[in-house]
Amino acid sequence: MLLAKTLKSSTYRLALIAIGIFGLIVSAIFLYVYWSTASYVRGRADRAIVAEQASLRDTYTRSGRDGLAALIGQRVADESFADHVYLLAGPGSAVLAGNLTQWPAGAAEQGWAEFRAPVPSSASADPLVRGVTEALARGDRLLVGRDISDLDGFTARIKAAGFAVIVLIFALAAVASIAVTRRTVGRIESINATSRAIMLSGLDQRIPLRGSHDEWDRVAENLNLMLDRIEALMGDVKQVSDNIAHDLRTPLTRMRGRLEKAYHAPRNGEGDAALIGDTIADLDTVLGMFASITRISEIETRARRGAFRTVNLVEIASEVVELYDAAAEQVTTRLELAGEPAVLVIGDRDLLFDAIANLVDNAIKHGLAGGRVTVTCDGDEGSAVISVADDGPGIPADQHDRVFKRFYRLEQSRYTPGNGLGLSLVAAVASLHGARIELRDNAPGLLCRLHFPAAA
Amino acid sequence: MTGAHRRILVVEDDPETAGQLVEELTTSGYDVDLAANGREALDRSAARDYAVITIDRMLPDIDGITVMRQMRDGGIAVPFLIISALGEVDDRVRGLRAGGDDYLVKPFSFVELLARLEALGRRSETVAKETIVRVGDLAVDLISRTASRRGRKIPLLPKEFQLLEYLVRNEGRVVSRAMLLQHVWDLHFDPSTNIIDVYVGRVRRKVDDQQAYPLIHTIRGIGYCLRAPG
Repeated sequence: MLLAKTLKSSTYRLALIAIGIFGLIVSAIFLYVYWSTASYVRGRADRAIVAEQASLRDTYTRSGRDGLAALIGQRVADESFADHVYLLAGPGSAVLAGNLTQWPAGAAEQGWAEFRAPVPSSASADPLVRGVTEALARGDRLLVGRDISDLDGFTARIKAAGFAVIVLIFALAAVASIAVTRRTVGRIESINATSRAIMLSGLDQRIPLRGSHDEWDRVAENLNLMLDRIEALMGDVKQVSDNIAHDLRTPLTRMRGRLEKAYHAPRNGEGDAALIGDTIADLDTVLGMFASITRISEIETRARRGAFRTVNLVEIASEVVELYDAAAEQVTTRLELAGEPAVLVIGDRDLLFDAIANLVDNAIKHGLAGGRVTVTCDGDEGSAVISVADDGPGIPADQHDRVFKRFYRLEQSRYTPGNGLGLSLVAAVASLHGARIELRDNAPGLLCRLHFPAAA
Repeated sequence: MTGAHRRILVVEDDPETAGQLVEELTTSGYDVDLAANGREALDRSAARDYAVITIDRMLPDIDGITVMRQMRDGGIAVPFLIISALGEVDDRVRGLRAGGDDYLVKPFSFVELLARLEALGRRSETVAKETIVRVGDLAVDLISRTASRRGRKIPLLPKEFQLLEYLVRNEGRVVSRAMLLQHVWDLHFDPSTNIIDVYVGRVRRKVDDQQAYPLIHTIRGIGYCLRAPG
């Protein structure tokens, strides 16, 4: 199964092509080395033979057949001419002088030839000889040659080594490419298997890691993170739709019941007017909720950075504080602005106002009546920070992440007015501005901080 | 708004919404012309003078913004009220930048629509030049930015003064919460809380407490109205 996939995989095909090209190049290099070495050695031997042939011919011309025979006799006896082959034959191939006992079968009548002949001085019994034959006067023939067994052995070894190398390279390459491809295919196959499992059953599957921290593990890690994110988003969507269903059904059910009751009852001017008024108010609540949801989605999905300008966080915060001052006064809470006079961030004034307003609104609503809410703006080189702190009951640490989800409401505040969308909006605005939200225990109370990147 | 100039052009392609608009506006004493698409709107606005034109952003032929721009290019200075189902802030701001004078997001209440039309129609009339505006025994000095009743100064924060000024400028007219947010705080969204009511409540205490008669009145389901009795 895996082997079949390995052989079909594109990596394997690529490896085969690479091996093929590499092998061809190696073969070509080897052939060139072989050919040039052989021809160089042979060329040297040929030149030596031709020179010797010329000097022997001179002796024949000057001193005749006997003179030459004497010279050949000397040469054959000379140790330093051990690898030389000489043969002077008379008409009818009668051997006149030389170190061969008879005219060799492979030697040519005229010109160059390579043949095997027993040379007494040679190490081997039947060495390879390269020689040239020349017809002299009166039917005499002179063969001058050399024992080239050494050269032959040398080229044969080159040839053998070359073949061995090529075969080894091909074998190694084939094994390596199958191993590498198999590994690649194996990893891809595990990713594929997980993908199929996810399509079939659900998002709870993850791609197994090998712990090798290589690029495959990184791919798998990233895919797993992506799956985590998708799973979280799906969970959010599910929770949001459940919450929407719940929070919208309540006023809609109320409206329906009211209208149904009124429909069956006789018309009554004053009662009808009150009923219609209440119904419109409920409808407005529902519409307001819709508006908030779409607003949050739009902030979350759209990059509104086009409308961003440098704004003074303190200015916005002081406007919020002023707007909410009356509301704080109503519950005898002290609402204060603290920190630096100017903290610049790049952002959208309306959205920042909305986010800060939501935080202040929450702090007043959920803080202690008669307590204190402080809005602080601080800026330094790296970042701008705005924090809103109250001294109410706070939020349990294990719920800090959840409160930013749409419609999420703590048990303790289920019956205070609000729709559980405020902090979702804050989170959406913060993420659009690249700001980090931090919730901390203010001991007592809640401290909510937005860390913005620096305006510069 | 003068009686002679109460003709409004409604540009709306949905027949039911258009019918409701025409009926409601006619009941409130306006003369209403209806255009169901951009081309018709351009023709009508060229032929007649209107106090206000309400225009839907999404029209079947030409986009509402384009229609508005063409009318402006054609020299029509009538105030526009953009009515849009696109609620996002960007769309609102784009609508205003393109020459709209105000906007309303669908779905809206007719009271809100009427309040906005009143404010827009007034804007097209001559703007009051006086520096001290008086309503009953309330005097608002627009230069020194102070207010007093029967000569007694009312201590107001800057935003509180702005709010009172807006109510005074719209004396006798209903002003919605959204209009206050828009004109006093320059906010183009509705914080879904009763924060405006709380704020107006405090201004009202400063203005109306221990006075001969109240000036700031709550209009149920819509907003506020500043008027002297009688």
